[in-house]
Amino acid sequence: MAPSDVGPMPEVVTEAIVVIDLVESTLTSNLFGWYAVGRQSLRDLRTLIGEVGTVRGLRCVRSTGDGYLLTFYDSQSAEMAAIRAVEAVFELLRRIFVRNEEVSEERALNLRCAVHLGEVDVVPNDREGPHISMAFRLEEISRASLPTALNPIPPEQFPLQNYVLCSEEVAGILSRRATHWELASIGLLKLKGFPGWREVFRIMSEEHPTDIGSRMRAL
Amino acid sequence: MEAPAPLRKSLALVFCDIVGSTRLIARVGDLIASAVFREFIEHADRLGRQHHSLMIKFLGDGFLAAFENINDAMPFIISIESLLSQDSTPIGQAEGFQLIGRLEGFHFSLHYGNVLYIETSYGNDVLGEDVNVAAHLSEIAHPNEVVISQAALERMPADYQALTRAIEVHPFKRVGDVKFRRVKLLEDGPNRVLAELMRRWR
Repeated sequence: MAPSDVGPMPEVVTEAIVVIDLVESTLTSNLFGWYAVGRQSLRDLRTLIGEVGTVRGLRCVRSTGDGYLLTFYDSQSAEMAAIRAVEAVFELLRRIFVRNEEVSEERALNLRCAVHLGEVDVVPNDREGPHISMAFRLEEISRASLPTALNPIPPEQFPLQNYVLCSEEVAGILSRRATHWELASIGLLKLKGFPGWREVFRIMSEEHPTDIGSRMRAL
Repeated sequence: MEAPAPLRKSLALVFCDIVGSTRLIARVGDLIASAVFREFIEHADRLGRQHHSLMIKFLGDGFLAAFENINDAMPFIISIESLLSQDSTPIGQAEGFQLIGRLEGFHFSLHYGNVLYIETSYGNDVLGEDVNVAAHLSEIAHPNEVVISQAALERMPADYQALTRAIEVHPFKRVGDVKFRRVKLLEDGPNRVLAELMRRWR
């Protein structure tokens, strides 16, 4: 099949890209069973994503197996899409915190979240392009990434779960347009497939008293 | 036991990046590529100790080294570059991989700045904006070239001025404009002026 046979080139838009990963979802499913626990956890997460995202410009929800790729769009301003995306992620964390208090330990949801902003190809129920890869690279960052970072925070200060990382692009927008989030550089990292050093930030919320990210700061 | 308090130090910072590391992995596969990188790390570590580096931190396809005496930095850079032009059989291996022919070259930067020298759970490290400056300067360097910041050059022997090209300026976030000059390590073979300087200093 020639490339031209697959139809027109997809629409390109600037969207906020969020990657959400369920911490230890495979382990939980193996221990407690996919049908008993794993499936319900992912369904709950999808429901919560819908609740917090729909009113904030959520346009795409795609399963990644043990999490979701989300994109947010704002017709007036791409920067606002990033702000809405961060708002949605923190509201999601807040609701998950409440939910975790009510369910048994094996049903608790714990997340790793990353937010980036960039041009993406819009394909049905999915998004493509290097900015999508960048968001996944951000989500993959862990304590183990820090010894090869420049100006890293001490690895033991990096949370294990329920935190939000973002790219320099998103950090710049938040520092210009939103005052209720605190940004902390975790260091400059090399992200696989991307040239050069990238500064990566952790976003912490001052607004949500139950914000798990803030709780982690004290640990 | 509590880690010692961080020390503020003025240090020469050397950055080195392997040129085309991604291409190397694609060409020879990750198993051979990681053996080549491991060999490179062993050599860099040995040469760092030989040239009195305070610390050397490996960063996947490169490293950051810090020197208390800036005059140790340039000979160290040249010794790393020379790994590409002399026999470099892996340490402890009679038959093994060769860096020559596998690695395309290096990007180097040399900067001088005030940093925090700290002991961490993963070894010694240096922190500070000058570390970022040194890292970004190495991105400006062409293959087999050293980008030397003006701050570093001012503290080096005057002979080096003769080696450097025109002054250039690069804007850095949070730091502002940083002046730098370039030194070619290879010009149709080793840089003859540099080789002569090295011979004289030895």
